[in-house]
Amino acid sequence: MIEIKNVSKAYRTDTIETLALQKMNLSVPSGEFLSIMGPSGCGKSTLLNIMGLIDEPSEGTVTLAGQQITDYNGTRIARFRNEQLGFIFQSFHLINDLTVVDNVELPLLYRKVGSKERRRLATEALAHVGLSNRSTHFPNQLSGGQKQRVAIARAIVGRPNIILADEPTGNLDSRMGDEIMDILLKLNEDLGTTIVMVTHDERMAKKTHRLVRLSDGERVS
Amino acid sequence: MFSHLLKLMWNKRRANGMIFLEILLAFIVLFGVYSFILYNLERYQSPLGFNYENSIGVRLDFDDEMDSLTVLKTQERIRQDLLAMSDVEAVTWIGPVNPFGGSTWQTSSDASGQLIQTQMMFVDKHFGDAAEVEMMDGRWFTEDDLRGKYRPIVVNREYKERFFPNVETIVDSIAEVNGEHIIVGVTNDFKYKSNFAENFPLTFYPQVERMDNGEPFEMMIIRLRPNSLAEVEEPIYNLLVSATKNTDVVIWDMAKDRIKANRPIVIPIVILMVISGFLLINIALGLFGVLFTQINRRRAEIGLRKAMGATPREVTTQFVMEVLIVTLAGLLLGTFFAVQVPILELMDIPGKFFYYGIIAAVLTILLIVTICAFLPSFQASRLQPANVLHED
Repeated sequence: MIEIKNVSKAYRTDTIETLALQKMNLSVPSGEFLSIMGPSGCGKSTLLNIMGLIDEPSEGTVTLAGQQITDYNGTRIARFRNEQLGFIFQSFHLINDLTVVDNVELPLLYRKVGSKERRRLATEALAHVGLSNRSTHFPNQLSGGQKQRVAIARAIVGRPNIILADEPTGNLDSRMGDEIMDILLKLNEDLGTTIVMVTHDERMAKKTHRLVRLSDGERVS
Repeated sequence: MFSHLLKLMWNKRRANGMIFLEILLAFIVLFGVYSFILYNLERYQSPLGFNYENSIGVRLDFDDEMDSLTVLKTQERIRQDLLAMSDVEAVTWIGPVNPFGGSTWQTSSDASGQLIQTQMMFVDKHFGDAAEVEMMDGRWFTEDDLRGKYRPIVVNREYKERFFPNVETIVDSIAEVNGEHIIVGVTNDFKYKSNFAENFPLTFYPQVERMDNGEPFEMMIIRLRPNSLAEVEEPIYNLLVSATKNTDVVIWDMAKDRIKANRPIVIPIVILMVISGFLLINIALGLFGVLFTQINRRRAEIGLRKAMGATPREVTTQFVMEVLIVTLAGLLLGTFFAVQVPILELMDIPGKFFYYGIIAAVLTILLIVTICAFLPSFQASRLQPANVLHED
């Protein structure tokens, strides 16, 4: 369960204050697949970042899995992110100097998980996205769709309750985009993972349980 | 985490090649400098074995026409006249090899079936007292010894330990070096060349050995009351000119001579330390630059790791560890080369100094690298993932 209450986000410079989110309220029940749409600069990614605890709200509270996070310190937030959240980014953000399986292991490095167990879980996650045969490849040897599948494997390897996907199909052609969307839908159905996805693609958004639209930092539907 | 970083650094080995090379070269230079300094430091700290403070050296010239008896009488008269001066505490006549003078005489003999190589000093019976020579066994030779069957000699500790290590005492034994002599005493360490000189076997012969060749002692060491050199130099000069009827008298301060004698080692040490200092500053600045650049290029990765759950402390540790892994690889290879020096005995210096040099160089480089890596790594740990993940 994700609960966003009266969340505002302002970016300040010496002379200008830009309001990215204004008094936002949003509730995402466990197991829901929610998509967020809106024009560029409307605050979609800011909202996702605040939900993912990689950005702080200027005002308001964020409650994840029943815990109000606003008062947590940096280390506690990092631990919470590691255990409860998975991230998928439009530009994949894979580490080019690590093999596919090492990339997938990344979230487990920040837990007390032995190397054999890490390898087992990463291999399992890669099998889940159909990339078992690419585990020793490096990211620059993969297509865009394969890279995003690696990113999904990395997001699910720690068995998080929530996955936050920022335009996961934005850099892919429609066929690969569909493949990625199918994997996310299957994850949501099979594992009951809550997924919040920012997208520009109406077709993808329609496949999710619910669509929220933003404009100028405010929720419009 | 460590194996993950090892893998990462191995895959980045080309990018880290320059740091590796820089560390390796710095280690080799520091290893050499530290070994040289530590070796000389220990030599400096080992005792000279005599007292040079408040002492002056004097060189004069006896008339070549003087017979040996007249020379001996003149020497004794000069000695007594000098001792009569209130500022003079002790006087001793010595041969051509004087402390800190820079000259060395050496002789060798295998007459006793054992090759004995020893440096030589020619001194009178007062030398032991005048120079406050520390004895470890026996005594200094006396007038009575000079009348005995064998001429007396005194040797130093190195002589005894190198040639007779298993004998309890060599006092009263006969040494066949430069003729047959009786050893009457053994001094402690005695380094007459400089503080940095190595302990080498040394034998003190009496003046009679030089008189045989018609070459009497023409140098003296005069020990003065503290701080009296300025007052007493002129009266001493006048006394000696008057006694020898010759103005060719040279007086020098032995303390200044010691400093001069140490210079051939002190100057290279200072130069090496300055070069090493610049080298270390260069490494530090280079590392700062390389790390700031590398971390700047890896901002998205830092954001990603933080998003995946890395705490700021883990990010700092990761980057410091990465640099330390490359550093350790460089140090490992450097140490492999460095240990060959003592193992293969490539230099005539005890092996322990090379091992100390390795330890000191490793610790210095690790300290500098850790300090230099910390600041950029700490800054990296403060990056906001939301900002850096959207920079691509």
